[in-house]
Amino acid sequence: MSTPGPERVPSTVKVDKTSGQGKPPAKAGGTRPAGKGPQGKGGKGGGKGRKPVAPVKVSGGRNWGPIAVAGVVVLIAVGIIGYGVFASIKGSESWEDRAGGIEGIIDYRSQKNPQIDDRNHKDGPLTYVTNPPVGGAHNSSWQNCMGDVYPEPIANEHAVHSLEHGAVWVTYKQGLAADQVTKLQEKVQGKDYMFMSPVANLDKNVSLQAWGYQLKVDSADDGRIDEFIKDLRLNATMEPNAVCSGGNTNTGPVTAASNGTGMDQPTGN
Amino acid sequence: MTAPTDQDAAARAAAPAEDTPTTRTGPRFGTGWLALVLVLGLLLGAAAGAFGTRLIGTPADDSAEAGFLRDMSTHHAQAVEMSMIEHANSTNPQLVTLAGDIAMTQNGQVGTMLAWLREWNLSPTGTQPAMAWMPDSAGSVRNGLMPGMATPADLATLRKATGNDLDIQYLTLMRQHHLGGIHMAQEIITLSDEKKVTALAGTMVAGQQSEINLIDDLLAKLKAP
Repeated sequence: MSTPGPERVPSTVKVDKTSGQGKPPAKAGGTRPAGKGPQGKGGKGGGKGRKPVAPVKVSGGRNWGPIAVAGVVVLIAVGIIGYGVFASIKGSESWEDRAGGIEGIIDYRSQKNPQIDDRNHKDGPLTYVTNPPVGGAHNSSWQNCMGDVYPEPIANEHAVHSLEHGAVWVTYKQGLAADQVTKLQEKVQGKDYMFMSPVANLDKNVSLQAWGYQLKVDSADDGRIDEFIKDLRLNATMEPNAVCSGGNTNTGPVTAASNGTGMDQPTGN
Repeated sequence: MTAPTDQDAAARAAAPAEDTPTTRTGPRFGTGWLALVLVLGLLLGAAAGAFGTRLIGTPADDSAEAGFLRDMSTHHAQAVEMSMIEHANSTNPQLVTLAGDIAMTQNGQVGTMLAWLREWNLSPTGTQPAMAWMPDSAGSVRNGLMPGMATPADLATLRKATGNDLDIQYLTLMRQHHLGGIHMAQEIITLSDEKKVTALAGTMVAGQQSEINLIDDLLAKLKAP
């Protein structure tokens, strides 16, 4: 099917050339494919293939119409190919590649630090390598991360468990200007796998955490915040399909009572 | 339709209109060159179509399908949250069953929806705000909450409630949540040609509508003296 098609196309075009002076029907046949693209052209050419035998005898003059048509066809073909190549390259880029491309992000996963990679559940207060933490042993109860905006500092031990579930934790220096806090809040509230809290001794105004990744910036207006959320929220999960609801919703340091179901009522463990 | 006659007749008829004189002399290589270019162009186009279709054929990052899957995942997640609270705290067996049913169903659907996004090489997070995929949705998102979603205050109250009060709160919030969800699902059915997405949305409309009927019955019973 594909072989006869292309062979017939040129003969149609010849008609176009030779009859350019006074045979519009042929010209119409030659013009239509330009709008239709490569595939439409093949079909049309095949249908009219037998007619133009006679006109072929007459050699055509320099008619720019068919050349323009051919140029358009080639351009369309090249455009389609170009798009395909672009899309396949763009589409095959992993979230890790995209995250790694964010300027200033720190990839703690690649450091293979056993203390950060530790995923065990442990009771009571724990110490972490970074502030805020990006991974490590954590409390069995995760911090509720259903777009919760916590006005007071929360326990690292719960927050790290939320990171393990795929949440992005937005933290800001306690006392940050209210309008900056509002801008951060708008990125978090109502969105699952997101939660937000102030941190008392933060060295930058804003710090974003996913499991094994951290980005610190000076302003809530920094465009990299949205990039971080887009590339890492849910993608960075260590437990696909683990949920953000049913977690601890209290602020303040970890307590023995915080273990368990994570409901407000202490259930012990 | 025997060719010659038709063609000649058509040509004569239309000839006066087309008044573009050209010389009949000229190099013949032009036609050969043209043939080559056209064959090449067709082959290139076919090749592009063959391996490009799949990539071009899946919904894009800013498509209504991607927007729906992302937003409905978030919307469902809150139904799961409320239902798990009810499931853990209610003492009414009928309510415990209903809440468990809703939580399991919607959590499963979240997994399906996120898997499709992964399949399409799309991030679970979009660049556009919530509900942007829906026409005329401006103003429907309040404080980050999509239509039907409970507020943080609603949830805080629900977590502390017990007994009949808890059950009534849950059913009332869930009814409103379902109405919002049904609206979104109906919207994607009209917007999309992606069969698996519209099929899932169809089951959401039917399933949640029948649950609303059940919720109305339960609410009537609970509120009766």
